[in-house]
Amino acid sequence: MTIEVRAVGYRYRARLALGSVTTTFPDQQLVALVGPNGSGKSTLLKLLARVLRPVSGEVLFHGRNLEEWAPKEYARSVSYLPQEPSPAFPMKAIDVVLSGRSPFLGRFQWEGAQDLGLARDALRKCDALEFADRYIDSLSGGEKQRVFLARVFVASPAVILLDEPLTGLDVAHVQTFMELLRSFVDSTGVTAILVSHELNWCSAYADRMIVMRGGSIALDGPPREVMTESAMRELFGFDAKALHSEEATWIVPRVSARKPGSNR
Amino acid sequence: MAARQLLIAVLVLVALLVAVFLFALAVGAVRVPIGSLVSGDSVASRIFWELRFPRVCLAGLVGATLALSGVTFQTMLRNPLADPFVLGISGGAGAAAATATSLGWAQIPGLLPLTSFAGALAATIFVILVSRRAGRLDSSRLILSGLVMNAFCSAIILLAVSLSKASDMALAVRWMMGGFFTGSWRDVAILGASTATAWLTMVVIAGDVRMLEFGADDARARGVDPDRVSTIAVVAAALATGVAVSVSGIIGFIGLLVPHAIRSIWRSDYRSLIHLCALGGAILLIAADAVSRVVIAPSELPVGVLTAFLGVPFFVTLLRRSSNE
Repeated sequence: MTIEVRAVGYRYRARLALGSVTTTFPDQQLVALVGPNGSGKSTLLKLLARVLRPVSGEVLFHGRNLEEWAPKEYARSVSYLPQEPSPAFPMKAIDVVLSGRSPFLGRFQWEGAQDLGLARDALRKCDALEFADRYIDSLSGGEKQRVFLARVFVASPAVILLDEPLTGLDVAHVQTFMELLRSFVDSTGVTAILVSHELNWCSAYADRMIVMRGGSIALDGPPREVMTESAMRELFGFDAKALHSEEATWIVPRVSARKPGSNR
Repeated sequence: MAARQLLIAVLVLVALLVAVFLFALAVGAVRVPIGSLVSGDSVASRIFWELRFPRVCLAGLVGATLALSGVTFQTMLRNPLADPFVLGISGGAGAAAATATSLGWAQIPGLLPLTSFAGALAATIFVILVSRRAGRLDSSRLILSGLVMNAFCSAIILLAVSLSKASDMALAVRWMMGGFFTGSWRDVAILGASTATAWLTMVVIAGDVRMLEFGADDARARGVDPDRVSTIAVVAAALATGVAVSVSGIIGFIGLLVPHAIRSIWRSDYRSLIHLCALGGAILLIAADAVSRVVIAPSELPVGVLTAFLGVPFFVTLLRRSSNE
């Protein structure tokens, strides 16, 4: 087991964000964390990234409590992409990716030729090498997100944590992103944990979906078992139909108010 | 920015600094022939060694310090408009220094810069606490609280000067617009020590401060403790600003002008920017001070007037650009 979450709870001041969550994340798995707004999925991801510290319970990585890991050492193995990342000042894509090497550098050490090579490799893998010398704020949402994916990959991590990386991307960019993520998981054996509202994309690409609600895990299993009409109704308050195809199970809205001119 | 590019940039700036330094030594109300410098005890020679030379050094150190503080606040707060003057930190230092002076504390060695540092630190903490909303720093709140801080500090300065025995309004102008009227070698030594301390501190934490550019969560996930790094950075920047203000009064906009000029010439991160900004700040303020000495000779313009004329249009441009985004 790569990551073990044991009875972890978290609260923001008075508000309980996470009850008592217990789960495990094995190697080489693409996991989607889904759930309505405020269900605690981003909080869980931040606890895994060491951005937040659990109020109760513990998280283990390779059998060791996160508190016992040296911060930089942990950052070398677990790479996190926050929601809507953006540098405060204009920065070239290649420098954004290079900054992902920081956990490997000593206090006074600068990125060397080897880091630059790794950064270019990561950009190439993410189909973003052509943007290397462009400024990050001049790229479209989808291009930008591929650069940030390269920043996550450049550390050759064992676990990658992505907080809503699909927000604001058009369908073609979402597809490219998910294909990249899937092939990265299969080729390198990393564990990827992704927070998203894009149920159908998660269903199509993830090995496993965890539905959160009210700060705890409501459902956990392969997409086919999770993406059910009753789960949508009870957990999301979403009146939906589940359609099954060879690739995946799809959730589509049940439409009752017909448009004028519609024959059915 | 690679090490070689940094070296070239540093060399260019050092050359420029030497040129500006020599120029500033050469100009002034009194002409100092080179021959008189070696011979020793002429009036011209004393003006040169006891007034002009330390003054140019002070201008360089204050400029370096303010630019260093500016680039540190901008990176740390992720805000291009952050600057010790705009945020009211120089104001806090000025108010504390003016109060200390009117209470007669300036006689005790080291107390004036120390009080000034405390004022800068208090103003920084105030402005950051007021601007925090839901754990994040709000950009417009930062600017507004800086504005309020500055208004409050101007009032304190005027009050302190009015209540002092001298009640000399020229003294208030000196604190509020800045200038190098009373430079001495002792000030150079104190300021040199504080500038070096701040600069060294920033060099040590530069790798971590640079990671704050992507936000606190990202930094934390990469093994950096943002709270600890920010605290060290704030104290170092406040120390630098505080001691500078105790010597020169409040000189605005250096911390804004220099980092942006440097960034537009050399795209680089905080680790190189600290060196380039320190040099750039020294160059700009030495030049501005030299101009302020000669532009209405034989009397002098407070150098803060000059930097405000340069800085305000620049600030407006930056503000428009950042609100367009």
